[in-house]
Amino acid sequence: MKAPEPIADLELLIEDFKRSGLRELHGRYGALEIYLSQDANAPGLDGLRQQVSAAPAAVAASAAPAPGGHASAPAAPAAAAERAWPAGATVVRAPYLGTFYRAPKPGAAPYVELGASVAADSELCLVEVMKLFTAVRAGAAGTIAEVLATDGELVQGGQPLFVIMPG
Amino acid sequence: MAISRLFIANRGEIALRVLRAAQGLNLETVIGVSDADRDSMAARLADRRLMLGPGPAAKSYLDARLVVQAAKASGCDALHPGYGFLSERAELAQLCDDHGIVFVGPQAATIAAVGDKLRARELAAAAGVPLVPGSGEIASAGDARRMADQIGYPVLLKAAAGGGGRGMVIVNGPDEIEAGFHKASAEALAAFNDGTLFMERFVPEARHVEVQLMGDGAGKVIHFGERDCSVQRRYQKVIEEAPCVAMPADLRTQLHASAVGLAASVNYRNAGTAEFLYDVLRGEFYFIEVNARIQVEHPVTEMVTGADLVQQQLRIAGGEGLSLTQDQVTLTGHAIECRINAEDPARDFAPSPGTITRWQPPEGEGIRLDTHISEGASIPPFYDSMIGKLIVHAATRDAAILRLTGALDAFEVEGVPTTIPLHRAILREERFRANAIHTRWLEQDMFAAERPAAE
Repeated sequence: MKAPEPIADLELLIEDFKRSGLRELHGRYGALEIYLSQDANAPGLDGLRQQVSAAPAAVAASAAPAPGGHASAPAAPAAAAERAWPAGATVVRAPYLGTFYRAPKPGAAPYVELGASVAADSELCLVEVMKLFTAVRAGAAGTIAEVLATDGELVQGGQPLFVIMPG
Repeated sequence: MAISRLFIANRGEIALRVLRAAQGLNLETVIGVSDADRDSMAARLADRRLMLGPGPAAKSYLDARLVVQAAKASGCDALHPGYGFLSERAELAQLCDDHGIVFVGPQAATIAAVGDKLRARELAAAAGVPLVPGSGEIASAGDARRMADQIGYPVLLKAAAGGGGRGMVIVNGPDEIEAGFHKASAEALAAFNDGTLFMERFVPEARHVEVQLMGDGAGKVIHFGERDCSVQRRYQKVIEEAPCVAMPADLRTQLHASAVGLAASVNYRNAGTAEFLYDVLRGEFYFIEVNARIQVEHPVTEMVTGADLVQQQLRIAGGEGLSLTQDQVTLTGHAIECRINAEDPARDFAPSPGTITRWQPPEGEGIRLDTHISEGASIPPFYDSMIGKLIVHAATRDAAILRLTGALDAFEVEGVPTTIPLHRAILREERFRANAIHTRWLEQDMFAAERPAAE
């Protein structure tokens, strides 16, 4: 291992970082610690140390919304779960915490679009957790009235994903 | 060594394993991590940490261009891919070559050749390695029927581009062949974007045996003995052992020679594993595939040989060639590894991301734990569920089982369910203790016996 030359390295590092398109860089050379970010609102080194890594909630045992949330997850689920649904609506929920996919594979057409008619056994989306994919079915025949999650988003167990109205 | 700064293109326990091996050789370490792993143990212990992108692997660990860009931007002269993720993508090895970064693994062309199972079979056949009776490409259901009549039922339809059990269908008789062909083809297409199939005779009682290889890229290859990975669930290894004491010594010698011959025939570079199926009833072994990377279960080999396989990988990448001769590789005792996953065995192995609230691992003579977990660690939902590997070493298989039983009993984990109770149950099974198992034993016999008849 060659002895680190922090200051000379630093200038090169900043140049490389600018060109790389990376969003953040955090490094340590002995006593020197550096944090670079493309984001003007980045927390900085102190912020980084204070940042508590909010862990994803454990999978809920039932379809009830799991408590807590993941750092990168949108804050929507708790509020959405509170909302009143139109009479006769079927709300399709995430079976567990995971990543929501609207298409069977990347680049493919979504399983369903807004306004599509579906049968009770129609597959609407995939939820993936730890490489395990589960196809989520409509559960009732009708029309897709709302799509409540975005492709690639982390959803909580029990989070509403689709609203189906009869007819 | 000709390399001085290593980029670690992986996460979890293997990132930490590579990091420690690199530190042992006085290499600087840089790790690329996703947002979900920013506080992981490997990220904290590396000399530098780069944020690759958000949690989902497609936008971080699986983006080859991003990974190589990060390695280049951080001045790394070598890259270790670990296992999984990009480790067996020829594209990554090629990108490293293009950017003057030493790829710690085989040449891109070798990865591409052995990654195509039909090509790999051809290479094995050319090297005189026994193959399970099988076919070339199967283009239609009619083809499948003709081939199956020739090979004899039951047969196994497999995806040419496959792995991990996807696109794999067992066909028991002529009435199932047509549906089986269409199912396997559709699965292969969905999983690998390539519906190409081939067929093999299905061996009902098979053990999974694999040989650890290391090559210098110039035709010299040595082996580090074999591993037995016959305890499997859904084609995923659950427990691995070294050596395979169920196999007679003369057959093991033939197995090693076959594996070395195959690797030498392609001037294999760096670490690899040749996987075989051992037909217990016939007493024969057949080639399955070559895995062009370090494997999850490499520690059992390290325990019985005393070699540090990841350091060997780095030395070869650094231009030092093989640092051992075949004669210097000797086997001592027996090692067993169990994979500890954040899954709930009581709920059909439901993946269980969450936070570890208590982590009290066993310690003692002959006990090794490869893990990135400590108390308070979070297990993100984006990646596979393995949180650690518990490995024991003892003089004999029986002694190793005893030691592993004690270690599992002492292992305290809270916060998420784990597969520790499954391992304890397996170790209590008479068939496992008598070493009279095969690759479908766990699901077909042990799980079936636990379930009520109604299921």
